[in-house]
Amino acid sequence: MSLSSREKFRVLLIEDNPRDVALLREMIERTGRFRLWQVGASLRQGIEFLEQGVPDIVLLDLHLPDSRGLDTFTLAHDAAPELPIIVLSERDDEDYGVRAVHRGAQDYLVKGAFEFQVLLRAMRYAIERMATERALARERDLLQTLLENIPDRIYFKDCNSRFVRINRALTELLRLEKPEDAYGKSDADFYDPAHAASAREDEINVMATGEPLLGKVELETLTDGRRSWSLTTKMPLRDARGEIIGTCGISREITILKEMEDRLAAERNLLRSVIDNLPDSIFLKDCEGRYLLDNAAHRYSIGAKDQEDVLGRTVFDFLPDELAQRFHASAMAVIASGEPEINELEQTLTPERAARALLTTKVPWRDDDGQVLGVLCIARDITEQKEAAENLRQANYELARSREEIVVKMEELQEAHQELRSVQLQLIEAEKMKSIGRLAAGVAHEVKNPLAVLRMGLEYLRAQHSGDETAMSVAQEMWDAVDRADVVIRGLLDFSAPKQLELAPTSLNGIIEHTLKLVRCELKPGMRVQRELQRDLPPVRLDAPKISQVFINVLTNAMHAMPGGGMLTVRTYSKQLTGVGANIADARSESFRVGETLVVSEVEDTGHGIPEGKLAKIFEPFFTTKPTGKGTGLGLSVVKTIIDLHGGTIDVRNVPGAGARVTLTFRV
Amino acid sequence: MTKKRVLIVDDESGFTRLLKLTLEKTGPYTVREENDGTQAWLVARDFMPDIVFLDVVMPKVDGGEVAQQIRSDPLLEHVPIIFLTAIVSKKEGGQEIGGFPFLGKPVSLDSIVKCIDEHLGPPSE
Repeated sequence: MSLSSREKFRVLLIEDNPRDVALLREMIERTGRFRLWQVGASLRQGIEFLEQGVPDIVLLDLHLPDSRGLDTFTLAHDAAPELPIIVLSERDDEDYGVRAVHRGAQDYLVKGAFEFQVLLRAMRYAIERMATERALARERDLLQTLLENIPDRIYFKDCNSRFVRINRALTELLRLEKPEDAYGKSDADFYDPAHAASAREDEINVMATGEPLLGKVELETLTDGRRSWSLTTKMPLRDARGEIIGTCGISREITILKEMEDRLAAERNLLRSVIDNLPDSIFLKDCEGRYLLDNAAHRYSIGAKDQEDVLGRTVFDFLPDELAQRFHASAMAVIASGEPEINELEQTLTPERAARALLTTKVPWRDDDGQVLGVLCIARDITEQKEAAENLRQANYELARSREEIVVKMEELQEAHQELRSVQLQLIEAEKMKSIGRLAAGVAHEVKNPLAVLRMGLEYLRAQHSGDETAMSVAQEMWDAVDRADVVIRGLLDFSAPKQLELAPTSLNGIIEHTLKLVRCELKPGMRVQRELQRDLPPVRLDAPKISQVFINVLTNAMHAMPGGGMLTVRTYSKQLTGVGANIADARSESFRVGETLVVSEVEDTGHGIPEGKLAKIFEPFFTTKPTGKGTGLGLSVVKTIIDLHGGTIDVRNVPGAGARVTLTFRV
Repeated sequence: MTKKRVLIVDDESGFTRLLKLTLEKTGPYTVREENDGTQAWLVARDFMPDIVFLDVVMPKVDGGEVAQQIRSDPLLEHVPIIFLTAIVSKKEGGQEIGGFPFLGKPVSLDSIVKCIDEHLGPPSE
């Protein structure tokens, strides 16, 4: 097979002997696969050619004009280390050839001792061997790069677990200057005895079984105390025959991962502990209502033993059907709607079937795509709070009521007190005026009668002695003295007269209507007022405010006598007095006379009446038939005083079969 | 000439005696005095006065009651009754007590005479 010159291997021949050059040229050409590319007559020239282009193979004579011996090879090899070099040696220094081969030459040939066939074979092997070496070197370089750059720690150990090779990562971990410092040493030299023993045991096991140890997580403690977590794989190391001669291992630092895992675990435990210690029930259900997770409070509330007892089961396994159905429906509603239910009030039963109130919140549980996977529920037992709130509400209500009652009582008390004071003042004033009036009347009676005698005597003496001037002047002086005494007595009467009354012709009906409005608020349910007021009632000279006070007292008394309701009748009429009747009799001097026109007002109730034995006392100050605290006992005594001052009468008596009737009579 | 018959009822006997003396001395009057109020009506029935002067405050009976008694008697019901009272502050006369005119004590002769003239007309000479 003939090859074109381009496809033939290019041979650089470095040889100074022209005869040898010619001989070799002729032999190279005969191979048919090689061609002589250049010939260098000296080492310098040969190296220049090496630098110019790239031959496929170099034939190098060791004895050149500018270099001799092994140095020639060394220089040429350094100039082109990847080129296969075949050394040509003299017959007498074959030893150089052998040494050159030791230094990297592919082969050596002894000049004049080889045939064309030998040269051809030598050149072909040289080129192939060189190519193989290059490929091996590349692979070795890759492995070396891997070993030196991988952060995982890689080591090779002999069958006694002594390091024979470690990579840079392990060198750095062991804080060695170079890997060789570890060779011949074992784990016991670098790690704490426990780890060393464990590692040795693993390696013995790997070597004995031939099975690798995969992914063992171990805590390594170095002799200097550093600790790290590792993920270690160990494999048997075999020789060319497949015999196990040691182990190799790769160990990955996973301290960060391990710490992260520990932290996650701690966090998980913490969360677990938190939810288990929460008093609220917490549980997660899937879309079929099966429990996926729950806490201790929930298990307690449904009477479950432990989490295994709950997981995968439903509420129907724990609670009565009707109740379970309610809870299930409510959870399914949240899943269906995707809307949370916040703070719903629910009723449940304990395992002992006691009723409890729950405040529950149900939230749909979604995956990252928003798909609803189930429902998360938190329930708080608020039975005690509810009871407390109810009690509090009740207490507040009671308090408010008591307060109101106290306020009302206070107001009543104040009113009563005010009334008492006012009545007391009126009474004192009235009593005072009455006393003075009585005194004045008595004095007037006792003094004026003698004065009347004296005056009439003087009249007589005047008539008898009208001619006697002296007697007349004496009589006149006496007359004047009687007048003076009369003036004094009249002054006293004037002073005691009831001048605090401001009398004016007044419609008694008007006063009654006005007063009924004022006491409207005292009307109790079931109480009716009947008016029987005479239309053309003649006006009466009255002090309207004082008579109003009289009617307020009388009407209020009548209403208070009918706490359960009844009929209050107010009546007025006028009459001409035709005879003296018991009903208008009065012990006082000012009684009514026959022929007088009287105006009468009657107030009747249908209440309890007045005990007969007490009728006589009703006008006495501080007498009352009302329960303690309800009346001052002064009302009627003031009424009596005011009526007296008006020259009227008041009469109180029981009506057979009904309550009491108060009759007020005034002179027109 | 017909004398006017005047009945005076008052427990103060000094007053009634002096009034009787003075009045009878002054004009054509026949005066009968009575100091016991309880006897007043009987005396009036007996005396048949043209006018009665009646004290209000008397020990046994109230002047008002005496007035009612006299008024209730058909033979006496038209006889004018004039009250005499010490317990008024007004100087004298004109006003009424319970529908009756009255004179306040100490009363003067003039007012008695005037009062009689008012009710019975002036003396016919």
